[in-house]
Amino acid sequence: MIRTIAKKEVVEALRDGRFRWAAGLVGVLLLIALAAGTRQFLDLRAQHEAAKTETRAHWLQQGKKNPHSAAHYGVYAFKPKTALSLLDQGVDPYTGVAAWLEAHKQNDFRYKPAQDANTLARFGNLSGAIILQALIPLVIILLGFSAFAGEREQGTLRQLLSLGVPPTQLAWGKALGVGVSLAMIAVPAALLGSAALVFAGSNGDYGAAWPRFAGMAASYVLYFVTFIALSLAVSAWMKTARGALVLLLGFWVVNALLSPRVAASLSQRAIPAPGAFQFARNIELDLARHSDGHDAGKHTAKLLAGTLQKYQVTKVEDLPVSFVGIRLQDGEAQGNQAYDARYGELWNQYERQGRLQEALGVVAPFLAIRSASMGFAGTDFSQHRHFAAAAEQYRRYFIDVINQDIIQRAGNQGVYLRGQDLWSQIRDFEYELPGAGWVAQQRALSLAVLAGWTLASLGLLLLATRRLRLE
Amino acid sequence: MLQALNLSKAYGNQVALDSLNLSIAAGEIFCLLGANGAGKTTTINLFLNFTAPTSGQALVDGLDVIQHPLESKRRLAYIPETVMLYRNLSGLENLDYFASLGTQQKYTRSQLETFLQRAGLAPDAATKRIGAYSKGMRQKVGIAIAIAKQAKVLLLDEPTSGLDPAASNEFSELLTQLSREGVAVLMATHDLFRAKECGTRVGIMKRGRLVQTMATSEIGHTELEGIYLEHMRN
Repeated sequence: MIRTIAKKEVVEALRDGRFRWAAGLVGVLLLIALAAGTRQFLDLRAQHEAAKTETRAHWLQQGKKNPHSAAHYGVYAFKPKTALSLLDQGVDPYTGVAAWLEAHKQNDFRYKPAQDANTLARFGNLSGAIILQALIPLVIILLGFSAFAGEREQGTLRQLLSLGVPPTQLAWGKALGVGVSLAMIAVPAALLGSAALVFAGSNGDYGAAWPRFAGMAASYVLYFVTFIALSLAVSAWMKTARGALVLLLGFWVVNALLSPRVAASLSQRAIPAPGAFQFARNIELDLARHSDGHDAGKHTAKLLAGTLQKYQVTKVEDLPVSFVGIRLQDGEAQGNQAYDARYGELWNQYERQGRLQEALGVVAPFLAIRSASMGFAGTDFSQHRHFAAAAEQYRRYFIDVINQDIIQRAGNQGVYLRGQDLWSQIRDFEYELPGAGWVAQQRALSLAVLAGWTLASLGLLLLATRRLRLE
Repeated sequence: MLQALNLSKAYGNQVALDSLNLSIAAGEIFCLLGANGAGKTTTINLFLNFTAPTSGQALVDGLDVIQHPLESKRRLAYIPETVMLYRNLSGLENLDYFASLGTQQKYTRSQLETFLQRAGLAPDAATKRIGAYSKGMRQKVGIAIAIAKQAKVLLLDEPTSGLDPAASNEFSELLTQLSREGVAVLMATHDLFRAKECGTRVGIMKRGRLVQTMATSEIGHTELEGIYLEHMRN
């Protein structure tokens, strides 16, 4: 019975000009977004790969120089992009995907497309994610708003119920019908997307890609089922199809258009994070306090006295180690302390803001699917932080290797130069994104909110069909 | 086949149906006459379990319609003033849909075509979309649904109002044929002539009460009209 009902709904939808236009339009938009995303992803990955090889080659071939100069010369670290990021760029355009690693500093990220973009580009950013999160629900509403209310107005609902069709079966049949109609738009895009995924990930390992793909697909299914059930429930509840449409469109506006803005300003108000300028200024002040501030001379004198005592000598020239190296390493440790404190604070604020927005998903499921989607695409803030922490760890490792070399071998007189044998001792930066399980754990709140919406909307649909009104 | 036991329905203080007692046997065509608001449609809605009675019982084939909402409906077919169908589907597709939902079984195309033919729909009309159908054609699809359902009971709510005399006559003949096959028919109508022609019994309703019942074989047209007008005048 459910299949019969679903089939009839699909046939009717296909014969309805409005659906054909809407579906065609959204389908084409989705394909364009996928194609553009794939192209951008491939370009970016080629650039990264070239830059990665180049940065390593430059590092190895920088010639003879003082190791500390080499540490200033620095290296680039690139965050790997998953193929899914072609669908959902997440926060990458704002956080950047390349870290410049050098002595003394934990740098802000580079290559932020949002920095280069003009205002128009920001509005015109048609990503696959926006189509899935905002436009597909609109198509679902278009398909579902008249499901019950329209039949009630036409009089066919009386006819149907006089046959002895259980209203709940009718609801499941209609839900399935909307789902199948939707699949007609989504499946070609999903197939093409999968092809793009395989093509784009042709040198990566699929083992890591598919669980993320499955997680993302499951999240979107929950989101779409929520909208299908809500549309049908409202259609069953409201007297007229027009009333159902107005109510559903109102919800869509709140969900897709208002909620991201309101959530962003709410979370910034609840958990204020400093702006970029203020943050840089804070770090500057901290560093000044630590080293070259008023007591810098005193601090160096104390460090020297301690070192001399440790090695039981009285003059710098008699030390078996390089005091310059010790001073460098000491400065590094102090800088790290300041960076750890400030970045730790900032990132915790960002994470808490993010969690608050996920929780606000209880009001607007858009917020929950947005965060789950970019989580599985590997482009959310948590994974930015995960990468940044790994990059910073690598920076400390290679600065440490260099400083230890200076301490042990540079002595305290004359010029000290090293060549490729030291540079090649430093291993290359390797980073792997965390797995889908880690993402699911990080985004547990969003996933729970999505599941909650799905269950609640299905419950609402059951309730509305049990009390299905005839007039 | 169709039974009302002290069936009453009130909307607030307004009594729509006042302790109706009625029994319609298989093969009988019972015509309910009366002015608008006399309780004819209420009676049909109560048998369909579309509204709940204030008191009393409605039985279809011995089944209480409230306790067996689905089983009782499987035994009946309902034809309203205009049979409502899906505009974007053809007559055949509409019949296919309603028949398979009503019977839980799948009919072949030729079976469906036979049903439509029996209901008197021209074969070339069957594949046309309902949007192009006249009212008479819609009513025929309704009959075809009833035939496909093998309904034991037909509930008809002014099914011929607005039909031209020829179509109306055709419809009555179909009813007579079905009743010969053992279908019990309850028809609400304004058409005294049609009621006398095809009904086996007629009942006159007034302000929710069934005021008089008589067998059509025992009275003539003019007599029926006289009795009806007499009741309306009081």
